[in-house]
Amino acid sequence: MACLHDHSCEDHNCSSDFSLYKHIDFSKVVALNESVAGSVKSVFKAWERRLDTSEGLLESNEDDPELLVFIPFTCDVKIKSIAVVGGSGGTSPSKMRAFINREGIDFSDAQNMQPVQEWELTENLQGVLEYQTRFSRFQSVANLTLHFPENFGGNTTQIYYIGLRGEATQLRRDVVATIVYEVMPNPSEHKTKSDSGGGLSHIE
Amino acid sequence: MVLEATMICIDNSEWMRNGDYSPSRFQAQAEAVNLICGAKTQSNPENTVGVLTMAGKGVRVLVTPTSDLGKILACMHGLEVGGEANLPAGIQIAQLALKHRQNKKQQQRIIVFVGSPVKYDKKTLEAIGRKLKKNSVSLDIVDFGESDEGKPEKLDALVSAVNSSDSSHIVHAPPGPNALSDVLISTPIFTGDGDGGSGFAAAAAAAAAGGFEFGVDPNVDPELALALRVSMEEERARQEAAAKKAAEEATKQEASSSRDATMTEVERSSALPADDKRHQLTDDEAALLEQALAMSMDDVKSGSGAISDTAMSDPSVDDQDLALALQMSVQDSAKDSSESEMRKVVEDQAFVSSILTSLPGVDPNDPSVKDLLASLQGQSEKKEEEKKPENEDDK
Repeated sequence: MACLHDHSCEDHNCSSDFSLYKHIDFSKVVALNESVAGSVKSVFKAWERRLDTSEGLLESNEDDPELLVFIPFTCDVKIKSIAVVGGSGGTSPSKMRAFINREGIDFSDAQNMQPVQEWELTENLQGVLEYQTRFSRFQSVANLTLHFPENFGGNTTQIYYIGLRGEATQLRRDVVATIVYEVMPNPSEHKTKSDSGGGLSHIE
Repeated sequence: MVLEATMICIDNSEWMRNGDYSPSRFQAQAEAVNLICGAKTQSNPENTVGVLTMAGKGVRVLVTPTSDLGKILACMHGLEVGGEANLPAGIQIAQLALKHRQNKKQQQRIIVFVGSPVKYDKKTLEAIGRKLKKNSVSLDIVDFGESDEGKPEKLDALVSAVNSSDSSHIVHAPPGPNALSDVLISTPIFTGDGDGGSGFAAAAAAAAAGGFEFGVDPNVDPELALALRVSMEEERARQEAAAKKAAEEATKQEASSSRDATMTEVERSSALPADDKRHQLTDDEAALLEQALAMSMDDVKSGSGAISDTAMSDPSVDDQDLALALQMSVQDSAKDSSESEMRKVVEDQAFVSSILTSLPGVDPNDPSVKDLLASLQGQSEKKEEEKKPENEDDK
């Protein structure tokens, strides 16, 4: 399949490159102002299926083109570029603002905060355009928030596909999960030096 | 078990002084708030609840979302009623309080109690609703108290503007004998969209409704319900056995102490099957008792037939013994019970006299027999009289 990218594609295969979707933690993907709850998950798929809308698409509410997409990853990733396929008839998003490693952003936060990077998008119905990132700033991304404030004049904003190209580093940022919490102290589990023969115990 | 941060907006305006909900609108509201807080914190230990008041001098946040139920209940004390409720400001400040919640993983929910008239127009409310929906905040509204025209429609419009996939609800609670909390218990506000808080809600509903037999929900406490039912059956069986004893003593006019002994033995043996029957909690228990009755009657007949020659030898003594036994059995059945088959049988004079005639050695025209029958009738009447005052006492 021809890539139609504006760079030479011989040395890589687009479909395998846009594979960061495999590292997305789908259970925690959230979109604000989506008309159908949970439809945002259908937007992350393999590059070959980027125009396939059989599983639904992400659409904003009536008369409100803003969309906010929160994408957590299962491990830290480095993002090289982002591809966005929008809808026709003015429903494609026209701007994209990205925030990194911030949870719980809502619209007022997104509008007031300075994004890590901002792009002007064009209508990209075939999904052949990708937008490069300032790679140095996207080196260890645990979660990515994309804010689409405007579109090309449609009533709603439709997004069929969001593709992320980059590398996964296999580093996890999870909270330590194997801690055992004590409700009551159990002295037998906390042997001090005095119990086992002597010595000065000290507080560090 | 949804992880949720909830802000409850309380209406403490002047309209809350009204007493159409007992004891007053404000008290009913406070109880409902306490119940909701309990339900939320129980359904998921990491849930947080916050409270703010909408009237008074202005919208005031009493406690920011916390999982400490004691803190929430404490802040409900000493609230004063007055002023006018500012609904839009209340909702917006609730939204702000939720935005700054500590655990960003929690879903956001606002529960608003609207007891005063709503003077804001539909458009403003719908705009607020859309903003909440955009930020995926769910909204529950409890419409109670003042019901001016247009208020239900405005609030309905607000909820439908916020609602996405049925996460927001509205409850219209009319004034009446039911407490506001009881009305709310069965609504989705409590049951938390079908999961989670439903256990708490079901228990509370059962306790409050009390529509179950003996006031105990068999689902919640099966052992207690069973124990209550068993003791009720036992009492009923004992009543019938005691009444049966009385009838047997009435029918047996033989006046010998030996007959007494055999009779008491027969009674005991007839009482035993009745005792065994107690443990069967079936509906044909009455039929079984009838059988036992018939059996004992047969035994009596055969027993009396064997010793018929000593009929009426010592009428006075035996009559006294009989009377004593009768009295004792009457005293035993002190409490009232439901229909006693035996009592019916006993009271049916014709039936009794037919039994007497069938017993050899018993002459129904014998004065002592007549006396005893009369006394038995008197006892039954007395029992009925006891029944009536006891019924009145019970009520």
